[in-house]
Amino acid sequence: MLEGAELYFNVDHGYLEGLVRGCKAGLLTERDYVNLVQCETLEDLKIHLQTTDYGNFLANQTNPLTVSKIDTEMRKKLCSEFEYFRNHSLEPLSTFFTYMTCSYMIDNVILLMNGALQKKSVKEILVKCHPLGRFTEMEAVNIAETPSDLFNAVLIETPLAPFFQDCMSENILDELNIELLRNKLYKSYLEAFYKFCKNHGDVTAEIMCPILEFEADRRAFIITLNSFGTELSKEDRETLFPTCGKLHPEGLRLLAQAEDFEQMKRVAEHYGVYKPLFEAVGDGSGGKTLEDVFYEHEVQMNVLAFNRQFHYGVFYAYTKLKEQEMRNIVWIAECISQRHRTKINNYIPIL
Amino acid sequence: MLMGEVMREAAFSLAEAKFTAGDFSTTVIQNVNKAQVKIRAKKDNVAGVTLPVFEHYQEGTDSYELTGLARGGEQLAKLKRNYAKAVELLVELASLQTSFVTLDEAIKITNRRVNAIEHVIIPRIERTLAYIITELDEREREEFYRLKKIQEKKKILKEKCEKDLEQRRAAGEVMEPANLLAEEKDEDLLFE
Repeated sequence: MLEGAELYFNVDHGYLEGLVRGCKAGLLTERDYVNLVQCETLEDLKIHLQTTDYGNFLANQTNPLTVSKIDTEMRKKLCSEFEYFRNHSLEPLSTFFTYMTCSYMIDNVILLMNGALQKKSVKEILVKCHPLGRFTEMEAVNIAETPSDLFNAVLIETPLAPFFQDCMSENILDELNIELLRNKLYKSYLEAFYKFCKNHGDVTAEIMCPILEFEADRRAFIITLNSFGTELSKEDRETLFPTCGKLHPEGLRLLAQAEDFEQMKRVAEHYGVYKPLFEAVGDGSGGKTLEDVFYEHEVQMNVLAFNRQFHYGVFYAYTKLKEQEMRNIVWIAECISQRHRTKINNYIPIL
Repeated sequence: MLMGEVMREAAFSLAEAKFTAGDFSTTVIQNVNKAQVKIRAKKDNVAGVTLPVFEHYQEGTDSYELTGLARGGEQLAKLKRNYAKAVELLVELASLQTSFVTLDEAIKITNRRVNAIEHVIIPRIERTLAYIITELDEREREEFYRLKKIQEKKKILKEKCEKDLEQRRAAGEVMEPANLLAEEKDEDLLFE
């Protein structure tokens, strides 16, 4: 849309971009990870984390320190940072942030729907919702009797409304398996996000679109892999593939017909980006799984996003990298607390 | 296959699955309705004691087949397998534990009976036996003594009688009755 973003970007978003780059500099480095891996107990881990950007985030925790407490505190920290960015943002960055929160909102809505259908108390489900996916109508979910009521009364106000319309057009919202619904919502979300970025044009599109294409293709591969041997039919499988990636339309059609891992690999070999990824997959135990390889690639792309300026991708990349870091720390903490150190080095290195 | 090893493996695969798939605990908890793995109890007879034996069987399809469809499905499948193994082991362990407890009860009961019989019943019967035997011995001795006394008395009486007879014989008052057995020529009685 606006060419020459370097002329206009800093007016509205310069402060936030500087802030996010500062936060990115506080991500854990290889040396920090080496230190963490050598900890013997969770107390050691806490002491090491105090020297990093995390500071005293566990200072108020009573003994005994558990992995779930660490996880909750880290997530709280990430949420407060994210909310800060979001509250200070202007259009169109605030729409971008809304798109980012949509994926968490989808998870929360699925959870709430499930709970409402089973007549569970709303309060206990609200506690388990992801904080980044909060929306104002959350408490009102339990007044709905059926999912279509739910949609008409509650969800129509949220940014998720257009995604539901794609699923509801077949009007079978009542019988859909929850997982299928979740994946269909995610597909329409991803495609809408992609369109938004593309329409925005400029550096944002150049950075975000490849990332979102990779995400779409990755989901297609993983859904295919995980649906081998389940009751998910091939037509159903095809409806779950997001179409905004490189695999559309030929690759997706071939993937829908695939029956095992070898056929999937052959599909991937047609695409230059995915061929080396599939080759890096080890076999069975000991090697890397496909998901690990995808995670590494995603992390690489996110880190590269910081090499360019004047685009919104830095915020997306920062959030994703921070989440990966949280997962890494939780993994190391679990290995330490369960005294199962053989696979402690299986975290995804970031910087 | 140690219980501890299997549980450790299962807990670790939970951590692995959480790493790749994110937090799926709420999804799992929300979708719980019926149990998939159920247990049947059969009776087994060991040395006269009936023991319950548990056998697990699968019922229904896996309602969590599509969980983790978008992320972490492989780890979730491994997790399900590990915990299924752990549950099988637990069922076996439960069988063993109940048999152990039941057998323990049975052994205690039997022990108590053995002790009771050994220290109470048998001495009582033995004492009764001993008493009966002493009584019988006593009576026999009494009888013996009575017989002996009677014999003595009879002897005295006889001696007295003999003496009397001698005296009367000496006085010539007594006639010896005819002795049938003495050899006497008896003249033939002929018709004259």
